[in-house]
Parts: sequence; C-alpha cells; structure tokens
Amino acid sequence: MKRKVRIANLGSARAYILHRPHPTVQALERQLRAIGLTVVQCWPELPAEAIAADFLFFDVDQGFDEQFPWRPGESPMPMIALIGSEAPGRIEWSLEAGAHAQLLKPVGDGGAYSALLIARLAFEARQSLSAQIADLRRRLDERQTVVRAVTLLAARGKGEAAAYDQLRQMAMAWQVSFEDAARRVVASHDRQEDGNDRRDLG
Amino acid sequence: MKTQVELGLLYSRSGSYSLISEACRTGALSAIDHINADPAVPLRFVPVERDPRGNIDAYGPLCEEILRDSSARHVIGCVTSWSRKEVIPTLEKAGGTLWYPVPYEGFEASDHVVYTHACPNQHLLPLLGWAFARLGRRGYLTGSNYIWGWEMNRLAREVISGAGGEVLGERYLPLGSVDIGRMIEEIRATRPDFILNNLIGPSQYAFLAAYRRLGEEIAHFRPETCPILSCNLTECELAAIEPAAAEGLVAAGPYFRGATGWPGAQRSFGSSHEAAAWSAVHRLARLLSGHAGATRESLAQLLAHAPGGTEGIDPATHHTELPVLIAQVENGAFAIRERFAARMGDPYLSHGREAAMPAAPRLKVV
Repeated sequence: MKRKVRIANLGSARAYILHRPHPTVQALERQLRAIGLTVVQCWPELPAEAIAADFLFFDVDQGFDEQFPWRPGESPMPMIALIGSEAPGRIEWSLEAGAHAQLLKPVGDGGAYSALLIARLAFEARQSLSAQIADLRRRLDERQTVVRAVTLLAARGKGEAAAYDQLRQMAMAWQVSFEDAARRVVASHDRQEDGNDRRDLG
Repeated sequence: MKTQVELGLLYSRSGSYSLISEACRTGALSAIDHINADPAVPLRFVPVERDPRGNIDAYGPLCEEILRDSSARHVIGCVTSWSRKEVIPTLEKAGGTLWYPVPYEGFEASDHVVYTHACPNQHLLPLLGWAFARLGRRGYLTGSNYIWGWEMNRLAREVISGAGGEVLGERYLPLGSVDIGRMIEEIRATRPDFILNNLIGPSQYAFLAAYRRLGEEIAHFRPETCPILSCNLTECELAAIEPAAAEGLVAAGPYFRGATGWPGAQRSFGSSHEAAAWSAVHRLARLLSGHAGATRESLAQLLAHAPGGTEGIDPATHHTELPVLIAQVENGAFAIRERFAARMGDPYLSHGREAAMPAAPRLKVV
C-alpha cells in the first residue's frame, strides 16, 4: 500500500534562516517567498520569537550548540541544515542538533520545497514516535506496580487471571489507565498496611 | 535605429506534441514580426532557432547551444514540463531565461523561467469548482505517465476528496500509447460524473474517440451528463480530434478563440498557446526597452530595473495574471460557458485552494 502524503499548504508559514548575510541566504529567501513563506534572517542569535517559527534553516558550517534555546534534538519546529563543507564532524553536529532535512550550499534555484516537505514529515514522525516512546516508558515503569496490584487482588482468594480481569474492570469503571488503576490499588493497600494517610501516592 | 537582439526559440516541430509547439511558435514568430515592424519599439528580434524534434534528451544540449553560440539570453520554448525541467540547470548555469507559454501543473517558481500560461489556481481548481456545481463530485482521472498527469491528478484527488467527492479510478498511459481499452471499461463500470483528462497527444485523441463511442452506446456517457474536462486542450489540437469526439469537451484556459480580455492585446489569436507565446515576446520586448544595458541583465535585474514596471510578472514567482474561462466545444469551436475573475498565478497555492474555487458551495454560519 502506497503511503499517501497530503501536501499541505505552506502559504503564510514563517521560516527563520540562521545564517550570516550571504548570496545563499538570498537565493533561499527567493525560493521561500515564491513558495509563499515569510522569511526572517538572523545571525548569530536566534530571537525569542523564533520559538514560534514553522521552520528553521541553520548554518552547519559556522553553527554552534548555544544558538538553539532548546536541548539538542528537541526543537519545537522542523530544522533544515544548510551544509557547505561536507565534513564528517559538521554533519555529525547537524544531526545532533536535530536536522530533519538538509540543503547543500551554494543554494541555487531549487531544493527548498522538497527540504520543507521532507523536514516537516520527518519532524512529525519524530514527534509522534517520541510521544509513543514516552507512553511506553511510563507503562514500563509501572510494570512493577501492576504486578503488585495483581498479587494483592489475587491474595483476596482469586486466581491471578481473575485478579487481572478485576483490575481491568476497575480501570474501566474509574476511567483511568490500567497502570493508574494499579497504582490506586497499591496505594490503598499501603495506607491500610502502615495506618498512615498515603493519599499523596494515589 | 533598432538594436538587434538575438532571441532563442526551442520548439519541437515533430513528435507527439508538435501541434502545441507549432501554436506556440506561431505566436512567438508573429510577435517578433509585429515588434520588428513597429518603429516605436527600439529593438529588433533575430530568432535563433533549434528543434529538439520531440527528443527529451536534446533539450538541454540545444538550449546550451543557443546560450553559448549566440548572444541570446532569453529563450521562448518547451512544451512538456519534462523538457522545461531539463533546461533549467542550463539556464541557471548560463544566466539565461526561459519564457514558457504553456499550461503546467504548478509547484515551481524558477528564478530563470517566466510562466505566461496558466497554473492550477488558474485552470484546474476553477474547472473542478465548475464541475462540482453542475455535474457532481465523482470523478475518474486519466493521464499520460509523466509529471503533468501525476501532479494534476494528485491535486484533483485532494480537491475531490476534500469536497466530499469520490475518485472512482486513476489510470495512466505511457506517452504515445493508444491502449485505452482498460480506461474505457473502468469508466463504463464506475459511471463517474465527469472525467478529468490529462492525457496528451495521440493517447488523448484515441481516448476521446473511444469515449465518444461509449457515449453512443450508453447515454450517461454523453457530454450533458458526463463530459471530459481538460486543462490543456486548445484550438490548436481540435483538428487532430474526430469532430464528433471533440463535441462537448470542456476546457479551462485563459483564452479561447474570439474571447476578449487577453491582457495587453486587442487582437485575436488561434489559441491560448499562441496568445501566451505572443505576449511572452511582447513582455520581453518592453522589459528590454528603455534602459541601458538591459540586454545583458538577468531576469531578476530586468524585473527590478525596467522603467515600465514588471509587465504583469509577479517578481516573487514569475507567474502572470490571466483571465479564467471555462469553454465547451460546440459545433467545432469553443463556446465560453463561464468567465471567472482574472487572477495571478499562485504556483504553490499559498493563498489556499478555496480562493481558486469560486463555484464551490460553502457552508455559511447563519
């Protein structure tokens, strides 16, 4: 099955170009304006408003970590590397900085449109993977809690499978996730156990 | 005293799309004659012509030859998008400009090309809006297997789905192939409300003739209920189509023979291809007149410096403002069915698709 990528409208998107004034910036700006974007050039500092940009083009030749007001790889928008010297160290740096696509310098008459689309798709894919990973990690961390909750419920005379089902039904009844339900069961047991109020756990 | 200015012409005078080439070439040559005979224009164009004969691999080298062996900096030429994309690297290297007077699929804005015919916000989108309002939203998409067909159908698919319609089939033929049996059978089986035709040359002619026969067999497939829609069909190809098969074809374009309102001209043209090539040469002549050193300037410089302004060329995209007409073949000639407001070419649809579809009904808050 061929994956259909919907080519959304780029009109009125805002791009920042983090690069010193240069003919490459002019050529890139021309392309971006023709596509319908508004463009802001800046160097060496990214202004605070750049946080709301839709795209960021950044210079790999002279760029450095402190230019980005976020942790490497966690940019809030798609990033496109402008690569002049294809030196391995610089390419490595651009990947660590979180490039979603690249454009080779000197920039001429083409390349910007495909870089925009590829960067946006890569950015969205990375966002959704990060969200999935965070969710899986949270669930993994809660595995021990789930095991304890099932053991506690099973200790009230049910089999393990029945305890598991009961926990699932509790989660549905409380409209919380399976892991959250397990946490409540464990917390309520701990409270009864040591006689202290441990509501902060639940 | 007129300054001599060499001007490249790059048209295939044989091959599957030569009718379109000839129409463009006629428009360019008649503009050259007109300008050369006009004492008010301070320059005289000398054509430097090369003929790629429909061979895609000849375009790049022949364009390079024009720019290298003559003093020409501007070339009028190319019909297919494929050939246009072939010459762009050569233009970029030599600092030349291509004037491209043919409808195309958009999503391009080269610094070295001026697009003087329509792009999708000037042809496909208004045509679909027109069709949705009159025929329905269930379409069958056809095309020749290259970028024009692919991109036009991709956009049509998005617009149709976005409007709650349905694409009942999408089928491509290799350039020059007349193997249209399967398309016709799929259309028979799916009974669309309209057919979007992005076939070119002999494939298109064979398809139109076969569809006409289908309409003789089953009444639904007649132009009144399920017409064929095109964005690149003009008078220059009507002679190649069986007269009965041409009857009822619907086309979008900036001009049809006899229409008024073509920008910058009080005269009539054989087709919009001819008109767009004619105005390309005239716009160039005006950009080159009236300031020193103009013949050596790049397109970007000309657009910035010409005393008469940019000649209706958008400096950001190099597209032009054009009328938008929907016409239908009636007794062998195009009759205008609808005229929408003239609009500037918007190659990346950055002003949105909705703006280009005036006929599409909209939901209103009441």
